[in-house]
Amino acid sequence: MPTASNDKAIEFIGVSKRFQLAEGRSLREFVPALLRGRGWAPPFYALRGVSFTVRKGEMLGIVGRNGSGKSTALKLMAGVMAPSEGEVHVYGRVSPLIELGAGFHPDLTGRENVHLNASILGMPGRDIRARFHDIVDFAELRDFIETPVKRYSSGMYMRLGFSVAIHSDPDILLVDEVLAVGDAAFGEKCLAKIREFQERGVTIVLVSHALGMISEFCNRALLLHGGRVVLDGPPQEVTQRYLELMHADEVAVS
Amino acid sequence: MNQGPRVAGRDHIGTALRIPDFIISLANLWHRRELLWNMTVRHLRGQYKQSILGYAWALVMPLSQMLIMSFVFSTLLHIPSQGVPFPLFLFVGLLPWNFFSTALSSATDSVAGASSLVTKVYFPREVLPAAAIFTKVVDFLFASLILVAMMIYFGHAPTWTIAWVPLLFFIQFLFTLGLSLPLAALNLFFHDVRYLVGVALTLWFYITPIIYPVDVVPHRYRIVFDLNPLSLFINAYRRVVLLDDSPGAERLLLGIVIALVTFLVGYFLFKKMEPGFADRI
Repeated sequence: MPTASNDKAIEFIGVSKRFQLAEGRSLREFVPALLRGRGWAPPFYALRGVSFTVRKGEMLGIVGRNGSGKSTALKLMAGVMAPSEGEVHVYGRVSPLIELGAGFHPDLTGRENVHLNASILGMPGRDIRARFHDIVDFAELRDFIETPVKRYSSGMYMRLGFSVAIHSDPDILLVDEVLAVGDAAFGEKCLAKIREFQERGVTIVLVSHALGMISEFCNRALLLHGGRVVLDGPPQEVTQRYLELMHADEVAVS
Repeated sequence: MNQGPRVAGRDHIGTALRIPDFIISLANLWHRRELLWNMTVRHLRGQYKQSILGYAWALVMPLSQMLIMSFVFSTLLHIPSQGVPFPLFLFVGLLPWNFFSTALSSATDSVAGASSLVTKVYFPREVLPAAAIFTKVVDFLFASLILVAMMIYFGHAPTWTIAWVPLLFFIQFLFTLGLSLPLAALNLFFHDVRYLVGVALTLWFYITPIIYPVDVVPHRYRIVFDLNPLSLFINAYRRVVLLDDSPGAERLLLGIVIALVTFLVGYFLFKKMEPGFADRI
């Protein structure tokens, strides 16, 4: 196994991810399937033999159509899924920004949710207490922090989630289409924070359909199609190819 | 099948679980105690938040159970109670049983109920059932106030043997956690599990000496009670709380062994199934 003292942040080696579609959720479906001598429905491959390496401090963009395997790749990086074949290595602490505020409880106050969410992301208690004010200030929710989050607007909700995640001191930040949080001013603030992270050498993986953002921020991009890496290279080239691919598919359909 | 993809950093899902990993994940739990605490608070808030009586419900349920059951089984059916007032006898069994049954069903649902979290961010998943059970510990402590009131009412002063209770409760807690871990995992694969648990608990209640003393059980059926850990626990609680007796070294040891084995096997199975959780939700 490679040691952690290299410059790699994320490494995918021949990774495939298989899913059982139309899975039987009850014994009523499972037992007959078993008796017929075969397991479940035929497998579906979300990723097939994907290999790439993300260096420390790199900002990688991943583009691809819906169902191309982007989210699966992100879930493998986040460690919520294990690959069916191949190896995934992640060096350092990962903070996923995938669907913000997933860990929020509507009945808890903003303050309690900050503690809950931060501890889910793996922040030790003393760090949470030390950074609590920074988190609240960044989210601009000082006046509402004792209010249950069910009374929050969706913008407030997402601001708080974003703020917790970026204050969790990640080595690797996984971003999935979430930078459209709050109003324009807050969006700017988030982008500034992303730049600051880049300067500090935090590795960032950005999955987005916003091609402008990919070419502006990332120093490298991957194009996924049908669970395979079609192109791995400079963002401009990759986004160009992505547009061609989309166009080609449209032509094929019509 | 899965060719040993290991992930650097232990706070992650690997696929092949080996014994040292298992020890490490046990140790890791201690580092995530903050999470366990916050999850427990979250559960507690959710549980009674929308009700007028709030936490008083934790008292209303066992109190009404105790009154009705005492009427039916003592006043109507004259079930003996080891020389102790029946309501007291009943309640010392009912308290740990309620903890066990509510904790088991809530923990079984805990991972499936947190699907939005489980598919997005990694944290040791055993925190979910553990937090569900800790929530019920709070209910148990609340309901214990009723027992205190009852002991005063019946003038049944506790003796020093009551000091055994924390140890007995710890053993019971470990057993409950160990049993609920694989159930919580299996419930993701087969949703039938939660219903099976419901049915099993209903039956289990009747083969545990809660509403009757174990002495009324004919000897040829005793084996069922000797093999039933809940029977072991409840008899021990009654001895130390009501009968001024020790739990008995042999029975205590048996309880510890059962609880420890259940916990270790349950935790191991849970960790084995854990990598598949996000695929299954």
